[in-house]
Amino acid sequence: MGSVDRCDKTLPLNEMIFYVRRDAGLRARWQSDLEGLAREFGLGAAEYEALRDKDVRRLHELGVHQYYVPQILRLFFGASANSNAHPALEAYRRAYPTEAAQAMKLQEELRRREA
Amino acid sequence: MAEIVAAMAMTHSPGLTGWFDRAPAHYQSQALRALGEMRDRLHAARPDAVVVFSNDHLLNWPINNTPEYTVGIGAEHVGPADWYDEWLALAKYRIPGHPSLARYLVSEGARRRLALAYLREMQFDDGVSVPMHYLNPAGSIPLVPVTMNCTVPPIPTPARAYEVGATLREMIEAYPGSERIAVVATGGLSHEPGGPRYFWVDEEFDLWFLEMLKKGDHRALLAECTLERMEAAGSGGTAELLAWVLVLAFTEGPADVLAYMPAIDWRTGTGMVIWNQLAGR
Repeated sequence: MGSVDRCDKTLPLNEMIFYVRRDAGLRARWQSDLEGLAREFGLGAAEYEALRDKDVRRLHELGVHQYYVPQILRLFFGASANSNAHPALEAYRRAYPTEAAQAMKLQEELRRREA
Repeated sequence: MAEIVAAMAMTHSPGLTGWFDRAPAHYQSQALRALGEMRDRLHAARPDAVVVFSNDHLLNWPINNTPEYTVGIGAEHVGPADWYDEWLALAKYRIPGHPSLARYLVSEGARRRLALAYLREMQFDDGVSVPMHYLNPAGSIPLVPVTMNCTVPPIPTPARAYEVGATLREMIEAYPGSERIAVVATGGLSHEPGGPRYFWVDEEFDLWFLEMLKKGDHRALLAECTLERMEAAGSGGTAELLAWVLVLAFTEGPADVLAYMPAIDWRTGTGMVIWNQLAGR
């Protein structure tokens, strides 16, 4: 099966993101006291460090549900983080250079074909 | 008894509202034309309620407890959720619910051994918000939202979605009222939200899947369109097409494919489909 199967449903970070997205107060804490928030939700050191470093590949490897990874980037960078021209793309380029290059090549091919 | 009066399916890509103008102009015009036709056909069917099937993007339930299906039973539905409104570039909307039908589905489902969780206050992400923005912009058609798990392992199979669709069709047709009911599937086509292939779509898979819908052979589609094949075309996202497979069980024969765009800018293979023939007619 696919990469989504790497998800560890018991990972505290997966629970934390669910509650943070739904609560404006927790979203403010994300900006002001991420380390304290992580501690309250029981994140391990590796989880916190991957989160702090916005390390997409490491977050995947730890078992963060992959849908949540762009949501994490949105929490750091704002709502525009899901357009293709945002730091989200840069974070994925760093994590998965081959896949990102293939995607950009496909996009260029599609643009040429449909121009 | 209630009557099924329309069945259709569309992508719910957040780019369709949030960053619509990032896609090529001809994608934009194709999408608007197809969505306009869907809206016209939906309203022409004069439904008393629209039942929308879409995956929940881990918004309504925490990952330690993700029901396979959840019915929104509220008297009114308000969206998008705060976390999504800026991202989707949508103002808050209010759509009346149809609590009688929604609560019937939950209770009758239990009698038929189909577990349907429910929420009185459901939160809405792109899955319902984007389709309602285009298909039900004035909120004039009461809504019964049904969210599905299409992304948290274990992901249900297409065969299971079709089986549930057949049961729901029987249940809706047995609903003790004279309501006219439309069903809309949202999600897909190929994409891998947040995965290593986040910025990629699988045009070949999408065209193959839509061709299967055009042929209208349900048995062949279920045999060939396995969960493994969906996952290979975009893990954790392409399986949103389980909603389309569910609605397929409300139909017979070929679907009209109104549009297809391999819209990497919108982050999904993007398509719109209407079925002309409903099951049992």
